[in-house]
Amino acid sequence: MKPPEEHIPSKRVTIPYYFTAALSFVLTTVLCLISAPDFAGHFFQPKLLAITHLAVLGWATMVIFGASNQLAPVIAGQRLYSERLSVIVLIIKISGIALLVLAFWNFTFTWHTYAGGGLILTAVGLHAINIYNTVKKEEENIISNFIVAAHAWLFITAMIGLMLLIHLRFPFLPQEHLTYLKVHANIGIAGWFLQLVIGVSARLIPMFLLSRREETKWLRVTYYMLNTGLIVFFINGWLLHSEWLKNLSILALLPGLFFYIRYIRACYKSAMRRQTDQGMKQTFLALSLLSIPFILLFVISLSNGNIAPNLATAYGFSFFGGFISTIIMGQTFKTLPFIVWMHITRPDQLPELMPKDLFREHWVKGQMIFYLPGILIFLSGILWKQSCLLYTGAGFMTIAAVWYLLHVLLIIKKLRRHA
Amino acid sequence: MLKIAITDEHYDLKTTVLNALYAVTDPELGINIIDLGLVYGMTIEANSIHIFMTLSTPACPMGGIITAHVRTAVEAALPGYETGVTLVWEPQWNADLISETGKAALGW
Repeated sequence: MKPPEEHIPSKRVTIPYYFTAALSFVLTTVLCLISAPDFAGHFFQPKLLAITHLAVLGWATMVIFGASNQLAPVIAGQRLYSERLSVIVLIIKISGIALLVLAFWNFTFTWHTYAGGGLILTAVGLHAINIYNTVKKEEENIISNFIVAAHAWLFITAMIGLMLLIHLRFPFLPQEHLTYLKVHANIGIAGWFLQLVIGVSARLIPMFLLSRREETKWLRVTYYMLNTGLIVFFINGWLLHSEWLKNLSILALLPGLFFYIRYIRACYKSAMRRQTDQGMKQTFLALSLLSIPFILLFVISLSNGNIAPNLATAYGFSFFGGFISTIIMGQTFKTLPFIVWMHITRPDQLPELMPKDLFREHWVKGQMIFYLPGILIFLSGILWKQSCLLYTGAGFMTIAAVWYLLHVLLIIKKLRRHA
Repeated sequence: MLKIAITDEHYDLKTTVLNALYAVTDPELGINIIDLGLVYGMTIEANSIHIFMTLSTPACPMGGIITAHVRTAVEAALPGYETGVTLVWEPQWNADLISETGKAALGW
């Protein structure tokens, strides 16, 4: 195995992504606070659309793009295909998000809006090309398969999103808007986020825990079941609109998820590292939070098409604000200190600082002490349509997000100090 | 864990190298590579020292920097000696190779 040092990408393809994501996270929670009562209403309204897209694209996808620029070369044992492309993607993506979020917030659809959607689709496509070309030379590997498939679904999600944006002003699709919106949202949730988290965590969790048993055959089952379910869901949602096919596709996801949990359990049981740090504890907390959207999905599937809008909002929020944001908040402090450490450490000098010295473990815990009650109170506010709960929850989430941003800045500052 | 026989003709030099390697730490675990049992052996010939070691996982993204630090530590302890490092994957690193200190640090 080659020493991977020469595959470490430069800081310009990772650090700005982490910083932009942290900033978007704060902005997202502040907007949640400002528009808290809106979460008690229907999910298809300007403020919620703006906040959702800022959170999904500006916060979560942004940090994932930055992390994948670092991780893809490590997984593939190759250099990142193009660092210049990564910098271009960041600029295009920030411009696209700004235009799109503003358009949703004001609910005005001008050429700026379509330019925003187009820029986002371009950024997603270019990032997918960059990652695909980085990992393609590697031998067939289930982790790379997850990552490539996740990017393909992200591109499809963004394409549907742009079509829906056009359809809002110039209707051209045969069914009503909300029919396609469900496809757009669920493909993004399961195809992009869930699949990417499964793929990346399947590599990182055994690595961080020093697991001796990685049962990748279960991951293969997860991969095929998840993608079969997604393909059926996509074709059905776009063309066939059959209720039983929709439920069948969801049923295919569940065993896939079960086998992933089984894989993680085997990694955990065979771990040589028995003391888990805050980042890993938070990862396991996030995995347990994943049960909430699945319970809500089950309740929604029982409602025979008459879904209470707040239930759909609660499902989306519990997946995104709960599972995805919690796992990202934890994994940030497993990845960013290492990225910074690799840039401040010289090979010809023994380091004075270790990655654990670049961040504060008790801050990671502190952030979660505010964030976890925040999301649970906010979720209760959505379900019971209570503004006071929504304000309180959003308040807690904002404190956690500001703390998270300050923590990210603290780590990045060490990069400048040791430059 | 790496052991040096007292009858080894390079006992003193190897002990110096061993002590120097205690200063090289796995950045993720925060434990030195000797207590982790990552160093499998070393050979000394004339003015060159060769270290055979492994990593906690073949996918370890820190492999390059750890091996560079091994070279730095050995060359600082024994100036004038040329140092080489080879990564080996057999036998696979396992819990039996970790010292009691290392195990305690891993939460055993």
